[in-house]
Parts: sequence; structure tokens; C-alpha cells
Amino acid sequence: MGEFIASTIGRGILFLVASTAAIAVLFIFYFIARDSIPFIRSEYIEQFFKSPDWYPSGSPPSFGALSLFIGSALVTLGAAVLAVPLGVAAAVCLSDVLPFDLRQLVKPVIEMLAAIPSVAYGFFALVVLAPLLQNDGGRVLSITWFAIAIPVGLLAVIIISDLLTSKVEDEKRRAVSRVVIGAALFGLAAWGVAAAGMYFDSMKVKTGTNALNVSFILGIMALPTIVSVSEDALQAVGRELREGSIALGATRAETLVKTIIPAASSGIFAAVLLGIMRALGETMVVWMASGNAAQIPEPIYNYLEPVRTLTATIAGDMGEADHVTGSARYHVLFTIGLCLLVFCFITNLASEWIVSRERKKLRGE
Amino acid sequence: MRLGTRKLLDKAFSALGMVSIALMAGALLVILVPIIGKGVGAVVFKATVEHRRILLEEFDRGNPEDIRAEIEATDELRSPVYGYFAAYENEISGTLDPMADIFRKIADESEHYGSKIARRMRKYDEAKNYEDREEAIERAYNLIAYSDDKDRFAEELAEIKSRMEEGEKRNKSFIEVSDAIRDLLGPFPGEPRPTLVRKRYGKTRWDRAEIAIHDVLYHEEWDYSDPSGMGVKREFPRVETFQGTKLEPLFAYVEEHAKEMLNPRYTFYTGFFTTSPKDSHIFGGILPELLGTLYLTVGAMLFAMPIGVVAAIFFTEYAGDSATVKILRTCVSTLAGVPSIVFGLFGLAFFINAIHIPKSVLAGSLTLALLILPTIIRASEEAIRAVPHTYREAALALGAGKWHTVVSVILPAALPGILTGSVISMGRAAGETAPIIFTAAVSVGKALGPLESILQPTPALSWNIYNLCTEHEAVDEIRHVQFGMVATLILLVLMLNLIAIIMRARISKKLRG
Repeated sequence: MGEFIASTIGRGILFLVASTAAIAVLFIFYFIARDSIPFIRSEYIEQFFKSPDWYPSGSPPSFGALSLFIGSALVTLGAAVLAVPLGVAAAVCLSDVLPFDLRQLVKPVIEMLAAIPSVAYGFFALVVLAPLLQNDGGRVLSITWFAIAIPVGLLAVIIISDLLTSKVEDEKRRAVSRVVIGAALFGLAAWGVAAAGMYFDSMKVKTGTNALNVSFILGIMALPTIVSVSEDALQAVGRELREGSIALGATRAETLVKTIIPAASSGIFAAVLLGIMRALGETMVVWMASGNAAQIPEPIYNYLEPVRTLTATIAGDMGEADHVTGSARYHVLFTIGLCLLVFCFITNLASEWIVSRERKKLRGE
Repeated sequence: MRLGTRKLLDKAFSALGMVSIALMAGALLVILVPIIGKGVGAVVFKATVEHRRILLEEFDRGNPEDIRAEIEATDELRSPVYGYFAAYENEISGTLDPMADIFRKIADESEHYGSKIARRMRKYDEAKNYEDREEAIERAYNLIAYSDDKDRFAEELAEIKSRMEEGEKRNKSFIEVSDAIRDLLGPFPGEPRPTLVRKRYGKTRWDRAEIAIHDVLYHEEWDYSDPSGMGVKREFPRVETFQGTKLEPLFAYVEEHAKEMLNPRYTFYTGFFTTSPKDSHIFGGILPELLGTLYLTVGAMLFAMPIGVVAAIFFTEYAGDSATVKILRTCVSTLAGVPSIVFGLFGLAFFINAIHIPKSVLAGSLTLALLILPTIIRASEEAIRAVPHTYREAALALGAGKWHTVVSVILPAALPGILTGSVISMGRAAGETAPIIFTAAVSVGKALGPLESILQPTPALSWNIYNLCTEHEAVDEIRHVQFGMVATLILLVLMLNLIAIIMRARISKKLRG
């Protein structure tokens, strides 16, 4: 009997300790919400989502967070454009292409990339990357463009000329027409790539602390998450699918693109969500290197303009907000925090649900 | 599609993967190499005699006799510099005399203002230094220029005006030169000791000294004549301004003897890690920041590790698959997804404003503990799951109770794995900035002892990196400190990760037998 009581009490204590995380989540929601309610109830809440004017210290103050939301969205989107294709490709390469020994070498690289503190990334963006972009922005952009466009363009030319001529029956005529079409396309593509390159080269970058800089760094920071989570998802797809597809005569790329990646797609989607969350929630990099200008870029896709994000605003404005008396300037930052929290909570639940559904599917339930 | 094209696509697909892996490795290199390369420069650099002088005077380090002898030797070499300055000052004070003569003539001729001008000129004769004399001339000028006599003496006034303007222009460059020399070599002999520590000494690092020497020799102007583009920087040798004066030889002398005047020597400056900063990091080391990061990290581990491990035991050994447990698990992953700045907000709202812990290491470590808790729980769970079932069965077969089995068999077997996860989250805690901004970090503070730090705010590496490279008043001047700090933080974190990687390799070897 005594033993039973002891074990029940022990279990209870264990349960209590294990629910620390749950209590913490509850407390976080409660306290962030509690401090944002005064703002939500105030007359400023109307402009919060509608106005792009962020002048919390003006008189009268203006708390339009639209430009902050757009700033966050822009840098997160930029990071995703870089990190998602590269991350998924790297994950595929790690799980299906590279030999085991090489994989063991690559893993520490990814881990180190994930381990570097965000403030160090921010320092790099501010002290190394920003001056480079500001002084030789056009050159950097054009070199990047050529590095991407030349191989992609060549590949596209070959594939398109092949597809266009595949209907021709006669073998000789097909070869000739392929060469002719290929040459014509090549000329067109070369002209386009070169013209765009010249345009990039002549571009002047006004400031190195801009959305592009931050997007690039955030993309690098999101890569490790995307790679490791989607690699897990790819590994979870069984050998049978791979072997079956290859036995039907598909190349490795076709197997991966048409069979394995679709099978692992929900896991990869979860990985992408997690990576995006990392980019969205990141503070130090954007605070240091985004320029912190609360404005909507003109035009909106202009990544060479400075922006200001939600996270950087919380970090930057709290010092000036008077939290002793609790002014609107203080509570608006909690409202921003609440928006971030709710968004991350929903995304997290979604990715969790996707992963668990996938697990069930793979277990064949 | 042709087989050839399909094969090409296949290769291109693999190549894309390789390229992105290469890009990651490249990014790692591109980030680490400059930061660590320049970070080493904070510790190993060519230190000038001024560096050793500071160590002696402000930090009580080094051999006093040697350093005094070195200072004397360099002072000897510097004395010609000050000689040129004295000679030039003498020379320019003569340039005021023609103006004084003109005023004396005006004093004789003017009925209304004669006596007043004469009084100014007496002051001029009595004045001991150039500035006072200049002031006397200027006042006399203003007296006439705003009087009814201004038309009568228009010619004289115009001449004085042009002479004054010429002198002003020369003076401006002269003040620039003397400030540049002060910047390079420290205050002039005989000047009062400046209150700001940074003004008391010349350049301590040879790389900064080279820039200061350049500033002595050249002055730069920004040319904005191109309306479409940005300003263009142009440099002019200062010697041109002083052609034919007694200051002219200074520039050649500085160019030739700067090295001997500063006596640069390669130094391994351990003080970077063991001393406190002086005058907001312009001199000295990063000890308070290092200690602050250490306290915060260890504090966070002290709170998070016991809770995390116990929670992991519960989840792996005791929890079933009930709805409550599922919710608990979801909470753990939700906590892992909360942005770090929101942790900072929570720390401010809860620990500081609600339960009134002061802004301190305690509040900071509690906030950080929440941040790393999910990582520790997951890593510990994984480590406990990796313990082979046979262990458990054997312990239970020997008649051990469940709790007994967990404590004496499973935990010891899982300990290396738990430690691996903990070490990685320690690195995360050390590098996080956003959670400690509102809860623990201050920009300037002294090195604290472990106990007194609990209820006091502290500087920390991560926060001060941000602070020094964005809010410091002399950002370029202390680049080496910034790089040194970043390199220290990165190496600290990577070292922790390396330990974890090695530990994990050992465990997997052991598990494979």
C-alpha cells in the first residue's frame, strides 16, 4: 500500500515537472496577451493593420504596422526563395546521391551552420556583406546572375530544343533541326542573359543594409533546418519505392522527382514551414542589417530598399517605450509579439499535424 | 525525350544538390574565415609603445623599467615633431603684426574710435599667445566694421579681412594637423591630462596607427560635383598648405620616423580575455562580457537540465499515449517554435514586471532556460530511447523497481546522449541575444563575481557585439574588438558543438559494439 502511494506521488511529481513546458506556453500566451490588451482596446488598433506609418513617438503617435508586416513578409519570402530549392536539393543529395562517408562529412557542416549564433550572422551581414553590396552592388548582382543564369539557360536550351524536335520521325532531319533550333535558342538566351547581366551590373545600390542582404543571410540560416528535416522525411520513404521506380527504367532524378519527393512531400512541406518560421522569428540579423526603415519599398518587390521587420521593431523600440507607466508605445510591442506568437503557433501546429499524418500514412494505418 | 537529355537532366539534378551543399560549406567558410581571421587580430597584433604604456599606467602590467626606457627613447624621437609645432606657432604669431600696424594707423586717424582701438592694441601687445592676439585683432576689426567710420577705412578693412581669412584657413588646417598628431602620438608634452582615457594615449595598434599617419599626411575632401552619383573622395597632401612655413619639414619627418616613434612589435595580448574594458572598449579586454555569457549559460543549464531530463524520463518511461500527454508534447514543440524575441518579451512581462525579479542574470537565465528546454527534452528523450531494451529487461528481471531501473540503469546508459544534447543547447543559450536584451543585458558593466551577478544585470558577448557594432560612438575605431568578440563567441559555440559531435561519434561506436 505504502509503495503504491509512493509511486503515485512520484508519478505526480514527474507529471508536474514534465508539464513545465506546457505551463510555460500558457504563461507566455497569457502574459503577452495581457500586456497587449490595453493597445488592442485603444483607438490605435484600427490603424495597426491598415496604416503604413510607424511613428510611435510622434504627436499624435501613429502605430501603423503595415510596413512592418510587409517588411517581415518580404525578407521571409526572400529567404524562402533561396533556402527552399537549395535546401530540398541538398536534402535529396544527402539522402540519395552522396555516398555514406561523404554524408558524414557534410553533416557537421550543416550542424555548424545551425550553431553559429544569430548575432554573428548579423555582424557578418552588417560589417562584411553590407559594405560589399554598397560599394560593388552592381558587380555582385551581375556575377550572381551569371552564375545562376548560364547553367540554367544552357540546360533549358538543350531541353527545349529536344522537346520541340521529339515529334520529328526521320532521324537525320531530327538531328539537324535540333542543332538549328538549339543554335537559335542559344543565341536568344545568350543575348537575354547578357542584357540582364549588363543591367544588373549598371545598378547602383544606395545602401548595403537592405532587404536583399537580410534575405540572403536568413536564407542561409534557414537552410540547416530545411535540410535536416526534409532529409528525415526523404529517409522515411522506404527502399521499395526507389527500387520499383528504378526497375521501371527511370533515371535517379526521375525517381526522385516523380516518386520519392511526392511521397515525402508533406514532410518536406513541414520542413519548409519550420525554416520559414526560423526566418520570420529571427531578430538580430534583421535588426542589425535590414536598415530599419519603416517603409513599404517602392515598388514593393524592390529588395534593394531598406525595410523594418516586426521582430526588429520589438527589439529596437522597447528601450524607448516606457514600461513603467505602460504607454501605448509599450503595449503595441506586445501586440506585435502576440501576432508573431499566434502565427508561429499556428504554423507549428500545422507542421506537427502534417508530420504525424505522414507518419501514420507510412505506417500504413 | 532522348536518353541523352534525360541523363543530362539526371546529372544536372545531382549537380544542383551538390552545388547547394557546396554553397553551405562555402557560406560557412565565407562567414568563419574573415571573422576568425580578423578576430585573431584582437589578440595577436603589432602593438605600439602606447599599448605598453597603457598596460603599465591603466592596468599595472608589464615591466616598468623596460617600458619607461622605451617611452623615453620614443619621446626623444618625437621631440622634433613638437619642435616644428613650436617654431610654426612662433612664425604665425608674426603674421598678425602687419594687421596690428594698420590698426595703429587707424587709431591715430580716427577721432571717435581712436582711443578704443588703441586700448585693443595695448591688449594685443600684452597678449602672450597667438589666440589672444588674434582675438584682439578680431575685436578691433568688428569695432570699425560696424561703425560710421567703416566707409572711411574701407580699404584698410578689406586688407585686414583678406589677411584674416587667409590666416583662418591656415589655422583650420593647422588645428587639423595638430589633432591628427594628437590622435597618433597622444597629447602634446605639457598639455593637461585629458579626462577621456582615449585622448590620453596615441594609437596602440600599428594598423590603426598607419591610418592615423595617413590622416596626418593627407586631408580628404568630398566632391559632390557629379549630381547623379554619390560623392567622390579626393585626397590632398597637407604639406601643400604649409609650403614654405616652418611646419613643412614635419610631414617628411613623420612619414620617415613614424615607425621609430611608435616602435611597433608583435604582441600576444592575453589581456583581451582577462581584463575589463577601459573607456567603452577603446582599450582593454572583454572579461565582463565573457563572464556574463558564462553566468547566463550556466544559469540557464542549471534550470533547464534537471527539468528537461525529468520531463524526458516521464515522456519515455511513464507517459502513455493519452490525450493529456499528446497535449504536453504539442506544448513542447510549440515552445520550440516561439520566436526568441517573444521569449524576451515574456521575460520582461513575467519575470521582471509580474514577479519583480530585477533585470539580472537570474531573470536572463530563467528566460534562456525556457528557450532551451524543448531542445533538452527532445535530446534526452532520444538518448533514453536509444538505450537497448535488454538493459531494461535485465534490470527488471533482477527485481529492480521501475524507478530504480530508470535511475540506476537507464540514466547512466543514456547520460552521454543527454549530455550531448545539453552541450548543444548550451551553445544555443550562449549565442542567443534577443531573450536577454530586456531581461539581463547592459552595455557597460564591470566584471562580476558569480554570487553578486545573480541579482545584477551584466554585459554579455552576444549583446555587446550588437551594441559595439551599431551603437558605439567610434565604430570603426574598435573593429578589432568587435571581430575579437564575435570570433570568441563563435569559437565558444563551435567548441561546444565539436565536443557534442565527438561525444556522439563515441556513443554510436559504443552502441555498434
